[in-house]
Amino acid sequence: MPPFDNDLREALRRREPPPGFAERVLARAGNLGRHERPAFTWRWAAAAAAVILAGGSLLYERHLQRVAGERAREQTMLALRLTGSKLHDVRQHLFELQRRTIELPE
Amino acid sequence: MTQADFESILRAHQAMVYSIAYHFFRNGAVAEEIAQDVFLQLYQTRQTLASPAHVVAWLRRTTTHRCIDAARHRSRRKEVPLDELPDVPDTRSERDLLLSETLQKMVASLPAKPRAVVILRYSEDMDVEDISRVLEMPVRTVWTHLRRAVALMRDKASRFVPVSEARRHASIR
Repeated sequence: MPPFDNDLREALRRREPPPGFAERVLARAGNLGRHERPAFTWRWAAAAAAVILAGGSLLYERHLQRVAGERAREQTMLALRLTGSKLHDVRQHLFELQRRTIELPE
Repeated sequence: MTQADFESILRAHQAMVYSIAYHFFRNGAVAEEIAQDVFLQLYQTRQTLASPAHVVAWLRRTTTHRCIDAARHRSRRKEVPLDELPDVPDTRSERDLLLSETLQKMVASLPAKPRAVVILRYSEDMDVEDISRVLEMPVRTVWTHLRRAVALMRDKASRFVPVSEARRHASIR
């Protein structure tokens, strides 16, 4: 092996981390573990809230559409009833005119 | 992977992870920060890692990539191209210590990717194919980084070592 390679290996030999390194990592991992579950629950709660909100808004939109449809149908029925009533009046008027026309020759 | 497995991996490989980061930055505080973050990332992804060999490869890859990213984002640390490094002081009485110190400084001053290649080769004793997998770069590129970095460092170091040794170094490759 070339001497320079040996020099490099010697210069870059492994170093032990400072004392207590593993304990510090384990402490941070412990904190991470404690926060994992609430974060997980919050994530699920947020997802559930989003689904409920989306479903609710969809149902509400359908409800509004149904109400609008019913209102339109009622208005159409009212319009038909008014038209029928007017037609009835016109018909009565025509009958009256016809009756008078028939009565006149006498 | 259980908590006990994680602790066992941490204690078995802490020197490897810390050393890669230390030689990358030549700074104990930065090395500890990066090494801690790597192990915390391992802790968070521990369910997805299968074999011990996979864990070692994962640790090397993650540490090296974190070091490269950190080097790019550390604006206060200006990289000096190796050609512009100041000449090594001629203090031959403490040759070994100073040579080692100088080589560490040279390595830590390399651009991020050649630095990673040199550290993985000489600190982790990895072959070029393994380094190319870790760094996700072609084998040819790894060879280029390695040859160029070593040649430049050898040139700098040859001004430092005694003449007889310099001749011996220069005769190699």
